[in-house]
Amino acid sequence: MSDKELTKEESLDLITNMIGQAKRNIAKGGSFYFLLWGWVVMFANLGHYILDKYDLHDQPYIVWLITFPAGIVSAIYGARQGKNTVVRSHLDRLYGLMWIAIAVAVMTLIFFTGNVETNLNAIILLFAGLGTLNSGLMLRFKPLILGGLALWVSSILAFSLPVTEQYLVGAIGIFAGYLIPGFLLKKVENA
Amino acid sequence: MPNFQQLDPLLHSQLRLAVMSLLIGVDSAEFVFIREKTKSTAGNLSVQLDKLSTAGYISVSKSFKGKRPLTTCSITKLGIKAFEDYVNALKGYIE
Repeated sequence: MSDKELTKEESLDLITNMIGQAKRNIAKGGSFYFLLWGWVVMFANLGHYILDKYDLHDQPYIVWLITFPAGIVSAIYGARQGKNTVVRSHLDRLYGLMWIAIAVAVMTLIFFTGNVETNLNAIILLFAGLGTLNSGLMLRFKPLILGGLALWVSSILAFSLPVTEQYLVGAIGIFAGYLIPGFLLKKVENA
Repeated sequence: MPNFQQLDPLLHSQLRLAVMSLLIGVDSAEFVFIREKTKSTAGNLSVQLDKLSTAGYISVSKSFKGKRPLTTCSITKLGIKAFEDYVNALKGYIE
């Protein structure tokens, strides 16, 4: 391609062609995060449930400490991906910012756990569902949309259950909402 | 009688229009991506990016990826306006 002048028709063809080129390069939405957080949060929910239900530990919430290394792994992976991306779409940017906003909201909730009382997990499931549903809508990927809805159903169930059982429902919700769509997304990304 | 608007000479050139059409659809793109998509030479692309940047149509940021220099471009508000005006003017000619 040179810096030659164009006819009007050539201009239009060129614009259409280039916009199409950029579209085809929109990055896929990171099945890595759904799988990482799916395993970590499902394990933490199950761990909390078992420790609490069978009275194995005074502080069953200790299992949630595994989310810290997961956060570090996510940040490192995100920084590396950012470096390797040669083009970033508007949607990529929105997608990332939405999850950061949800993470901030969830951390605020955890900070004020005392005020939330026994429904912390149910509210977090609601936020996780919101993010997953929106991710599915942005990527036009149905399994994530269904995953988001599954997380909302598990949130509704959790609100109506005693606190210990909420963690079992949480584990099942995360399996249906993060892990299954995460695996399906990975399959599409590798196709 | 249709009102023919003057086509922006800065955009009415093959490579510069290609760059603007690529950047209008994305948040940012690296030099290598633009070069690959426009099938241009590095030298010519640099010159045209400079012209667009001087006009304020795009912003160019330079950094490093490891030891290699990294040039990232994105379209500015002025660039979006110029691009829209160009497309509207083009429509006037074609309709």
